[in-house]
Amino acid sequence: MEDTQSVDQPLRILIADDSDSDRLILKTLLGRLGHVVLDAANGLEAVQLFRQASPQIVLLDALMPRMDGMEAARQIKALAGERLVPVIFLTSLSDADALVRCLEAGGDDFLTKPYSRVIIEAKINAFNRMRLMHETLSHQRDLIHEQNRKLTDEQKVAKRVFENIAHTGCLDAASIRHHASPMSIFNGDILFACPRPDGGIQILIGDFTGHGLPAAIGAMPVAEIFYGMTSKGFSASDLLREINQKLKRILPSGMFCCAALVQADFALNQIQVWNGGLPDGWIIRSDGSRQVLPSGHLPLGVLDASRFDATLAILPTSPGDTLLFMTDGVMETRSAQGDMFGDSGVAAALDGIGRDLSPFDAVIDRLCAFSGGGLEQDDLTLVTLEMAGGGNLEGLSDRLPLSALEGPAEWRCTYEIRDKTLGQFSPLPLLLHICMEVPGLRRRSGEVYTLLSELYTNALEHGILGLPSEWKATADGFGHYYEEREKRLDDTRAHFIKFRLTHSMTDYGGRLVVVCEDSGRGFDYQNHRHPHDGGLGYAGRGLMLLHRLAGPLTFRERGNHVEIVYDWHFSEAGKTASTAVTKSGVSHE
Amino acid sequence: MSDRPHLDEEALAELQDVMDDEFDVLIHTYISDSAERILSLRAALEAGDADALMKTAHSLKGSCINIGAPRLGVLCREVEVAGRASRLDEVEPVLSTIEAEFRQVRGMLEGFLAD
Amino acid sequence: MPIQTRRSEDGRTLTIQIEGRFDFSTHQAFRDAYEHGDPMVKGYVVDLSDTTYLDSSALGMLLLLRDYAGGDSANICIENCNSDVRRILAISNFEQLFAIR
Repeated sequence: MEDTQSVDQPLRILIADDSDSDRLILKTLLGRLGHVVLDAANGLEAVQLFRQASPQIVLLDALMPRMDGMEAARQIKALAGERLVPVIFLTSLSDADALVRCLEAGGDDFLTKPYSRVIIEAKINAFNRMRLMHETLSHQRDLIHEQNRKLTDEQKVAKRVFENIAHTGCLDAASIRHHASPMSIFNGDILFACPRPDGGIQILIGDFTGHGLPAAIGAMPVAEIFYGMTSKGFSASDLLREINQKLKRILPSGMFCCAALVQADFALNQIQVWNGGLPDGWIIRSDGSRQVLPSGHLPLGVLDASRFDATLAILPTSPGDTLLFMTDGVMETRSAQGDMFGDSGVAAALDGIGRDLSPFDAVIDRLCAFSGGGLEQDDLTLVTLEMAGGGNLEGLSDRLPLSALEGPAEWRCTYEIRDKTLGQFSPLPLLLHICMEVPGLRRRSGEVYTLLSELYTNALEHGILGLPSEWKATADGFGHYYEEREKRLDDTRAHFIKFRLTHSMTDYGGRLVVVCEDSGRGFDYQNHRHPHDGGLGYAGRGLMLLHRLAGPLTFRERGNHVEIVYDWHFSEAGKTASTAVTKSGVSHE
Repeated sequence: MSDRPHLDEEALAELQDVMDDEFDVLIHTYISDSAERILSLRAALEAGDADALMKTAHSLKGSCINIGAPRLGVLCREVEVAGRASRLDEVEPVLSTIEAEFRQVRGMLEGFLAD
Repeated sequence: MPIQTRRSEDGRTLTIQIEGRFDFSTHQAFRDAYEHGDPMVKGYVVDLSDTTYLDSSALGMLLLLRDYAGGDSANICIENCNSDVRRILAISNFEQLFAIR
C-alpha cells in the first residue's frame, strides 16, 4: 500500500510523448510546479517506467510509435490494480471517436495542445485530490476489513472462553432437548443446565438486552454463579437472588436479562419455576393438557436486592410431562410475508403435539415451516425437559480417585439455625460442603445431599411449620401447601433446627451419622404406619426416600429428633452405600 | 491558404516565461525535431505510406501548436487528414508549403534565441 | 422526527411521544428528549399511541429514563399502548415500575 500523502506534497508524474519539444515543455512545466517527472518517448517505455517507479499520475500522448497511448493506458490501469492512478491523455485530437477511444482505454481526462499552465496545474491538483480520497477510502476500507477480521477472531476466542466457563452442563442429558443457534451467545441468549446434588436438574434460559460482546459479557458471571451454586446445592431462590444482585451491580442501567429458572425434582416429581420477562413457558402434560407458565417477575438485573422477588411457583408433575421454555427470538421469527410467529404460532404448534410428535419437534417444525427454512441464522433459543419417572438418586458422579484416607476422617460438628434465619437461609450447601471434605463421601454427594435436604425439609415443613404432607396429594392442596408454607415462614420465632454430624472411619469405609433435631411438636412415631405399608408413612415421600437410601431412621423424644446412619464402603465406587435397604424400617429406643 | 499568423507571439512569451533558461534548448529541440519530421513526411509520401504520413503529421501538428506556430499546425493537419483518407495526391502541394513555412518559422524562432 | 416532546402548561410534565418502532435506533433521540430537561419537570408521560413495536432495548431505555427521573421515586406514566406493546410490557412486568395506562 502506498504511503498516504497530503495534497501539497510533490507527486511522481509519468509523461509519455514522442515529440521531444512537447515533452520538454511538459516536463519543465510540471517540474516548476514542484513535481518529480519521469518521461518516456513511447508507450512501451511508459509502461516500463510505470512498473519501475509506480508514479501517481500519468500523462500520455494518444498517438505514439511502438505502443500508442491507448494500449499503454490499458496496461498501466491493469498494473495499478486497486490503486487509483489517474491517466490524462495529451492530445490535439479533434474527432470525437478518438476521444471516446481514449476514455474507453481507461483515460480519466484530456489535456489539449497548446498546453496551458493554469489548466495543467488545476487538473493535476484535482486528480491528486481524487487520488488521495481514493487512497483514504481504500485505506479505511482495509482498516474496516481488518477490524472486522479481528473482531470475528476475538469473538471466536471469546466464544471458546465462554464455552469453557458456560460449558453445556448437562444439556445433553436424555431428558433435555434444546436448540440454540451457534453464535447465539452474541445475541445475548443463554441456556445452562446443571444437575443438582439431589439428582434433580436446574435449567436457566435467558436473553440479555442488546447484541454482541456487551450482551455476551453478562452471561459469564451468570454461568459461574449458576453452575457453582447449583452443584453446591443452593436453592433456586438463593441462586436467583445472587444472579440478580450480581447483574444489578455489573450491568449498566438499561441492560438486564429476561430469564426463566427451572428446578426439576424427579424424586418428588415437582418443578419449581421462576419466569422474569421471558415469553410464556409451558408444561405439556402426558395426557395432552397444557399449563402456561407466564412471566411473573421483572427480568434479572433490574431490581435492587431488597425489592427482588425470588419466589418460585411450585408445580406437581408426573413422569412424561414436558416443560417448554423459549426466548423472544422464537416469538419474533418472521415469515417471508413479514408476519411474526408470536404466541399464536406457539399455541398452534402445541396443538399439533401427538403420539409421534414431541413438544420440541412440534415447535421447531412449525418454526421452520413458518420462516421457510432452517433456523441456523436466527437468534432464538428453545429448551424442553421431560420429567423422568422416579428418583434418580445417583446425582453428581464425581470421577475422583478413591483416596479415603486423605482429608478429615474423624470429626463431629453441630450446626444450628434459629428464629428468623429459618425462613431466610438454607444450611444445606454449608453442611454438604463440610461432608464433601471427606473424599469417600464426595463420590456420593447426591445421596448425602438428599439425606441432608430431606431431613431439613422434614424438620422445617412438618416439624416447625406443622404442614401436613397429605395436602400435597391433590393439585389444589399442593398449591395451598406452598402458600401456607410461605405464610408460616414469616413467624419462626423461638424455633430452631439443629444438625449434628459425626463421621468416623470403619473397617470397610466410613460412617456418617446425622442427627436432626427441631423445636416442633414432633409426632407420634410409635403409632405411625410402616413406610412400606403405603406411601404416606412418616411424614411423606421424603423420609421414605431417606429410608431407601440409608436404612433405619431412629426417632427420639417426641419425634422431633431423627437420627440416620449412613455407611459407605471403599469397594463401592459411587453406588449406593446403603447397608440396610431390606431391613425393617423404624427402630426406636 | 491559412490566415493564421506564422508565430503566436503571446504563446511564445508564455513559453519563454515557463521555460526560462530552457527556452533556447526548447527552440533548438523543436527545430531539429521538426526538420527531421518534415524529412519523414517527404519520405513517407515518396513511399506512398499513408499511415506513416498521417501519424507523423499528427505529431508535428501537436508540437507546432505547442510551440506557437499555428499556421504550420494547420498545414500539418491538412496532411494528417489527407493521410487518413489515403488521398496522397493532395499531399504534395501542402508538403511543399509546409517546407516553405517551416523555413520561415525557423528563421523567426532563431530570432528569439539569446545571442 | 420519530420522537416528539411537549411540555404541559404548568411546565411540570414532559410528554415524550414515540412514533413507529421504539428500538435501539431511537436510543439517542429518546435520551435527548429528556436529558436536556429543566428542573421544573417533575413527571414524565411516555405516549406510545403511535408506537407500533417495542423491543428489549426500548425497555432498557425506559429503565434509563426511570433512573434519570429518580429511580424508585420517579413519576413516569406510560400511555396508550397498543396490544402488542402492552403484551411486551406485561411479560416484563414493567407495571411494577411504571404506571401503565
